[in-house]
Amino acid sequence: MSTASIIVAISSFALGTLLALMTIPVLVWLERRTAGLVQDRLGPNRTNIFGFRLGGVVQSFADVVKLVLKEEYYPSHIKSGKWLFMLAPIITFVAALLAFMVIPFADTLIIGDEHLRVQPLPIDFGVFWYLAVSSIGVIGVIFGGWLSHNKYSLLGAARAASMVVSYELPLGLSILAFIITYDTVDFNAMVTSQSELLFGFLPAWGIFMQPIASIILIITLFAETNRNPFTVAEGESEIVAGFMTEYSAMKFAMYFMAEYIAMNTASAVIITMIFGGYQLPYISTQMMLDNFTTLAICVMIAAPIVVTLFIKWMQKNNRVRPGMAQDKGREFETKFFTIAFIVMTIAIEFILLYLAFFSENLLAQSIYVTVIQIATFVVKLMIFNMFFILIRWTLPRFRYDQVQKLGWYYLLPLALLNIFVTALVVVGVSL
Amino acid sequence: MSQNVKVVQRASSSVRDKLYLPAIYDGMKITFKHFFKNLSDINAVDVLRYPEEQPQDITDRYRGLHRLTHRPDDSIACVACFMCATACPSNCMFIEAQEREDGHDEKMPKSFSIDTLECIFCGYCVEACPCDAIRMDTGIFSLTGNKREDFVLDKEQLLANKGAFGEVCSCARD
Repeated sequence: MSTASIIVAISSFALGTLLALMTIPVLVWLERRTAGLVQDRLGPNRTNIFGFRLGGVVQSFADVVKLVLKEEYYPSHIKSGKWLFMLAPIITFVAALLAFMVIPFADTLIIGDEHLRVQPLPIDFGVFWYLAVSSIGVIGVIFGGWLSHNKYSLLGAARAASMVVSYELPLGLSILAFIITYDTVDFNAMVTSQSELLFGFLPAWGIFMQPIASIILIITLFAETNRNPFTVAEGESEIVAGFMTEYSAMKFAMYFMAEYIAMNTASAVIITMIFGGYQLPYISTQMMLDNFTTLAICVMIAAPIVVTLFIKWMQKNNRVRPGMAQDKGREFETKFFTIAFIVMTIAIEFILLYLAFFSENLLAQSIYVTVIQIATFVVKLMIFNMFFILIRWTLPRFRYDQVQKLGWYYLLPLALLNIFVTALVVVGVSL
Repeated sequence: MSQNVKVVQRASSSVRDKLYLPAIYDGMKITFKHFFKNLSDINAVDVLRYPEEQPQDITDRYRGLHRLTHRPDDSIACVACFMCATACPSNCMFIEAQEREDGHDEKMPKSFSIDTLECIFCGYCVEACPCDAIRMDTGIFSLTGNKREDFVLDKEQLLANKGAFGEVCSCARD
């Protein structure tokens, strides 16, 4: 173990934890704001710290403070298994968190003759890890529903469990199709093989190579995360809040956060498997390293444009309505962030200028490529999280029998057929 | 009978509808349209930003916070007849009567308080009052306080509330 490998391991673990945990407040806020904008209203945007609203992200932290300070309440009818009652949300939370840890954020970093994975858990059987660990999450749901000693909760847990079991099969089969296609169980190798070209003009992303398996994967992952339209685990009209009816304060928050981490993990898996992961289309890692000067110039041109557009948008929207008298520091906030973004852009420009023209430091260049790939990954992750959120405000919930019918009658045969065709094609190609 | 049976095709029987995915695409188009339209100009979203922007469309029939009216010579219009308290379905009005010294009537309220936490703003007190002494035309729609006692309005507070829609004095006899 050299120093470099330790640093890379620690920083990628920190990055993974940060991406998993810090996206919770952002996603909660994003979900509420997006819901607002889709429904022609605003959503939370008032909370601020010293006038800094950040568009309302602070609201999530206020919620956290509220949930932490709330009374830990145990229903008095729970006589035995109290510790398991408390453990249940933790199981769900930890499973969702650990499943995220095998996602590669960037290509293998080569320092000297060492190949270092930018992956919180540097293992090369990531798909199996994901399938194994993410399924554990439902155990927390079952425990929660069962130990609540409440018929609604038990029903909610039973529904969630049976739905997850039914959708686990098409999920596994569609992932199997990808494993056959990419010939690997390593997430990183999957991404690398997606950097090639299909028919000479399409990026060889999973969505183009395996369209049916991709759709099945997206649908089943929606079901696995218990999100709309597959919210059979909870239902206001039939079973109150489902398995989390008896949970309060931080225990509830654990389930709540687990749902968001699971959504984040599902987005990460989807983009890693079918949308090229951290890769930009048409550009492989080796190409980036070989043409670093061109890449640097492209980023140097693109960064100011993006930042200018963002600042324009912020100056237009982060202000009170013209008719309103009070401003309450919004103008100051806009000014502060404008200057901060400009300073940041200038710093990036100078670093790139130095790296591209005055330094031949290959290590710094490959680290910079890694950073670009991480940024690509984060942008794609957020776009797909937005897709998850927007689907929620587009589709109505499925009835429970519709959920099961979709899973067993349509998705499972389709996945089996797809895997059959895939196997035939792969065998045919290799012959 | 069987000749009269009309077979109506189900609305969602085309292949496009059965595939569901095109319908999801149609729905996403609407969602995205709203989202991006509102994201591009957040100030154009038609909402009332409440604490800064106050509602301008309160009509004079709006039942706001209560007030006690005055006679033209500024004395209290209430004669402490207890009609309002009797009509009140939630028993939130507490009136204590005393003898009246200013020569208008026999009685006036010594204390007159309304517990607005109990009040259901039904307006029965206004209907019941024979002297037009209590009204709910203040236009005050928000009532805030830090403790429960803040929500019990006493006689002075009720007299201090102003009518928002013109009529200041009680139109009862003076």
